[in-house]
Amino acid sequence: MRERVNSMDPRSTGLSEADGYANERLLELVFERLVRLDDTGKPAPGLATSWEHDASQTHWQFQIRPGVKFHDGTSLTPALVAAAMKEDMSGTWQVSASDRGIAIELPYPQPGLLVDLATRDLFIFHRAQDTVFGTGPFRIAEWQAQKRLVLVASEDYWAGRPFIDRLEISLGVAPQQQLVDLELGRAEVVEVLPNLTRRASQSAVRVEASAPVELYSLMVTPRGAKSYDSQFSKALSLAIDRAAIVNVLLQRQGEPAGSLLPQWLSGYAFLFPTAPNLEQAKKIRTLFSSSPLLALDYDGSDPMAATLAQRIAVDARQAGIVMSVSAAPATDGPNHADVHLVGRHFTAPDADQALQAFLVDVVTEQAAGDHAGEARTQGAMIALDTPERRYAAERDAIDGGRIIPIVFVPEIYALGPSVRDWMPPRWGGWRLEDVWLDAAPHAAATGGG
Amino acid sequence: MRLRTRPRRAAGRGIHDEGFNETFAKPGRNSQRHSNGALGPAIETYLWKGTFVLSFRFKLALVFTATLVMAVTLVTWGVTSNTRAKFELLDQSRSNALIDQFRKEFAQRGDEVVNRVSGIAETNETTKMAIDLSRPQGDASKYVYDADGLAPQQKLDFLDLVGDDGSLISSFEYKARFGYKTDWVTAPGVDWNNEGAFLQRIELPDGVALSLTAVHVVTVGDKKLYVIGGVQLGKGFLTTLVLPTGMRALFYKNLQPVFDPGSLADVNGPLPLADRLSSLIEQVRKTGAAAEETIQWNADPASAENFHADPLFGREKQLLGVLLVGSSRKELVSLLDFIRTLGVLVGGAGILLGGLIGLWVSARVSRPIARLATGARQVAAGDWGVRVDVRSRDEVGRLARDFNEMTRQLAEQRDRLVQAERVAAWREIARRLAHELKNPLFPLQLTLENLQRARTQTPEQFDEIFEESTATLRAELNNLKTIVARFSDFSKMPAPQLQSVNLNEAVRSSVRLYDAQFNLAGRPPISPELYLDESLPLIQADPDLLHRALGNLVLNSLDAMPSGGTLTIRTAKNNGTVAVEISDTGAGLTPEECERLFTPYYTTKRHGTGLGLAIVQSVVSDHHGKISVESAPGAGATFRIELPVRPPEAEAIHEITHESSGENGESGYTGVEAKKEETKPVAAPRRELASVTKSTLGLGN
Repeated sequence: MRERVNSMDPRSTGLSEADGYANERLLELVFERLVRLDDTGKPAPGLATSWEHDASQTHWQFQIRPGVKFHDGTSLTPALVAAAMKEDMSGTWQVSASDRGIAIELPYPQPGLLVDLATRDLFIFHRAQDTVFGTGPFRIAEWQAQKRLVLVASEDYWAGRPFIDRLEISLGVAPQQQLVDLELGRAEVVEVLPNLTRRASQSAVRVEASAPVELYSLMVTPRGAKSYDSQFSKALSLAIDRAAIVNVLLQRQGEPAGSLLPQWLSGYAFLFPTAPNLEQAKKIRTLFSSSPLLALDYDGSDPMAATLAQRIAVDARQAGIVMSVSAAPATDGPNHADVHLVGRHFTAPDADQALQAFLVDVVTEQAAGDHAGEARTQGAMIALDTPERRYAAERDAIDGGRIIPIVFVPEIYALGPSVRDWMPPRWGGWRLEDVWLDAAPHAAATGGG
Repeated sequence: MRLRTRPRRAAGRGIHDEGFNETFAKPGRNSQRHSNGALGPAIETYLWKGTFVLSFRFKLALVFTATLVMAVTLVTWGVTSNTRAKFELLDQSRSNALIDQFRKEFAQRGDEVVNRVSGIAETNETTKMAIDLSRPQGDASKYVYDADGLAPQQKLDFLDLVGDDGSLISSFEYKARFGYKTDWVTAPGVDWNNEGAFLQRIELPDGVALSLTAVHVVTVGDKKLYVIGGVQLGKGFLTTLVLPTGMRALFYKNLQPVFDPGSLADVNGPLPLADRLSSLIEQVRKTGAAAEETIQWNADPASAENFHADPLFGREKQLLGVLLVGSSRKELVSLLDFIRTLGVLVGGAGILLGGLIGLWVSARVSRPIARLATGARQVAAGDWGVRVDVRSRDEVGRLARDFNEMTRQLAEQRDRLVQAERVAAWREIARRLAHELKNPLFPLQLTLENLQRARTQTPEQFDEIFEESTATLRAELNNLKTIVARFSDFSKMPAPQLQSVNLNEAVRSSVRLYDAQFNLAGRPPISPELYLDESLPLIQADPDLLHRALGNLVLNSLDAMPSGGTLTIRTAKNNGTVAVEISDTGAGLTPEECERLFTPYYTTKRHGTGLGLAIVQSVVSDHHGKISVESAPGAGATFRIELPVRPPEAEAIHEITHESSGENGESGYTGVEAKKEETKPVAAPRRELASVTKSTLGLGN
């Protein structure tokens, strides 16, 4: 992995979007949730075997799977689940344990609670002697923050022991080096950035890509919103040649984004145009007598973000919009950017949940923590249950000029020749517990089981 | 009577006879000597009539020293100027050498860039890319990242792959620009494969950079693939230059429309205080020509650096960079400081040594002149027999010999003159004696002849004649005795015995002596009028001599008024002196009479001896006073005497006079002190006598 994960504690905080996503991928190998998603994206039993709720969908009851043990041998009990949930949840939820399960009381109806429980970082864990134990298919054998994670198969895993005996995951490895490692047989599975797919495809490796699950978009900051209105954002959006970005920079790995949700998720993305219109952009640009330098920043740890941001700036300049491009400060502090280039993963194949989560982030970003933002968030969460409403919500968000979608990007992995049954879900993920290795080609490979 | 000269008397009165000093000692009260102790008597100044005057010897030493200092200064200046000029030349030479080195390095680096770009163009990847892109359906998008792999292979900082239509296919430094045109490379008429490297302004995502760029073209069919590669010019390039000690190279990337301090760097990175070089760089930017300027970074002159700025142009002759070669002035400043310090030390030592040598040399040079001056002063003091011993044969020696000849001739002339004056004096005395004696002798002769004839008379007649004759003889003999007494008095002028004297009392006493004369029977009365200033201070004078002089003047006035009149006597004080005026209302004097009035034995009276006023003048002279007469025919006469309250050389006068009138019985009017200047009219009709000295003519008893 190119990310440098700091902690294997489910309650670790302060992660960036990219680090948080990578951390979640690692945590899913060790920890489990009450609910999981099946291959179609529907909620399926996880550590909870069944659930029920009242008519108002504010009172939920979950039955806990019996016979499950944490990696330290402790049996999974409703009390331990409730304790973990309480540590996970915000104060608006009330979790209580009973003999057979746990009960969750919500202050407002939440039909999508199951997807939330399946996709959010609501892992069930148990703390003992300052060590966190999970119930997942693998248990931690060695952990070096930001460098290395060694996992071994959990013999008592309730769904059956994984095929792979031992997993060694290197952190903070540059994309180029990952590919080299794969080519040299020092790794079995590596991440591949779009710019390396051509090289990867020229090697004797398999390249597997998910559906476009990450949206790169421009988010206008509150600071930028003071200077630029929706028309200015429209001019900027029209100036960007998204197809060129996808075809060239992303090496055709992805889709131009005119909407917040990709076509495969929403079904209406084609209604949002993505083609550039430089003349129109220039025309709108002329409405503004002056254009001060527009500060665009990006996540410095994301190799693709820099190139994307620079291309956006180059395109914008053709329309007379001058942008300065820089990496966002690594530490929390005052940010003087007018526009952020943000990459955001869709963690669930549910359009409603994905859009709600996205809009919450947008609203949170725009509200900058004020109380009105929370109210709008709650309002957004209950009004996206139909494609029409989601379309309208997306249209409102985009036309409001606060967000400019750029491209949808898939997760891409290159697999060594011995990897078998690599069958991650369409929306991304690893599912390494189902993977097995053909011992013949690379019996001595590091990641071999 | 005999004449005596005393040539050394002046020396005995406290004036030494060394060097020039005596030349200036003569003015007495008007001169004051100042000595600067360090160099002793050589460095002396004199206050002469209110002005400080340096001695000739000191002047000579001063000129010698000044000449030495000027010589040292000139040598120091010359060495400093020459050193500076040589250093400037050396600095220019070193700067040119460094600029040449930079150009060679630039050319060599350019060749390397050309080779590297050619290397990239000749790789299989590039060839395949060119072949692929030459196809009608060639897809350039898949090559967008190829520059990332190619540029590091050849250690290029910049690499652009440009398609046949000028569209950017891949860029190592700015891949986001893919698809945009790079028209300059497709311009016709350029054989890029035979073109050398050139400076180019490179646009980067976060700014601009300066590149040494080369282009190589890969041709497949009628399609071309342009490989544009370059290395960045900056501080890294400067590190390749071998810099002599005290020199450094700076590079300014002229990529901004105005001077940008951040674009100026040396091997250590951006230059602090880069603004100080803005004027030099702006000058190069404006003129496009090399320029030069000296920058002093702080108050220390040694911090100064001389910068030579050399412009660097791109293909289109646009100014893209400025190479600055800085040469520290520290060595020059240190060297100049050393030279100046050495100059000051040598100059100081030279001044000291020069002063000493100057004094020694000036002493040798001025010694003959000093001797001449001494001789001249001795001559002035009356020693006409002085001889100057100068053995040199130069002008000074000739002058000394002329001086000696002059004094010899003067002495001879003086002797002849004295002899002539003696004869004239004796003749005058003989004439006066004959005249004085002739008057009583004639009656004596007649009386004796009457007595002889009376023997033939009767006894009664004889007795009567005898009585008359004896009376006449007695009277004439008295006259003779009177004449002899006056001569005796004149010859016995004593030296003044100074004591405090009230001049008014002396006047009153003198007038009282002649009370009986004012109302003499048979003559109209003379009325005395005294206007005496009672605030007169006491003066130092000889009361007897003063009384005698005043009495003579009163008597002289009485004789001048046989028809009666008014005798007016006034006293007054004036700035350290007292004055007495004695006026009569007699017949007055002609200018000619005034001219000779104080000449001994000159008289306008029928029975006068001509010694009265001479005695008065002698007394006044002995008291360092002045006497003058103002008169006109028919208007009476006024004698005015001015006496110092305290004669400055009273003691000396006393000493001299005492010696002169000492035991040997010689006259006091001898030698230098006895010189009496001839009385000369100052302004008619007033006659003023400067009786500073006495006559050289002395009269014995």
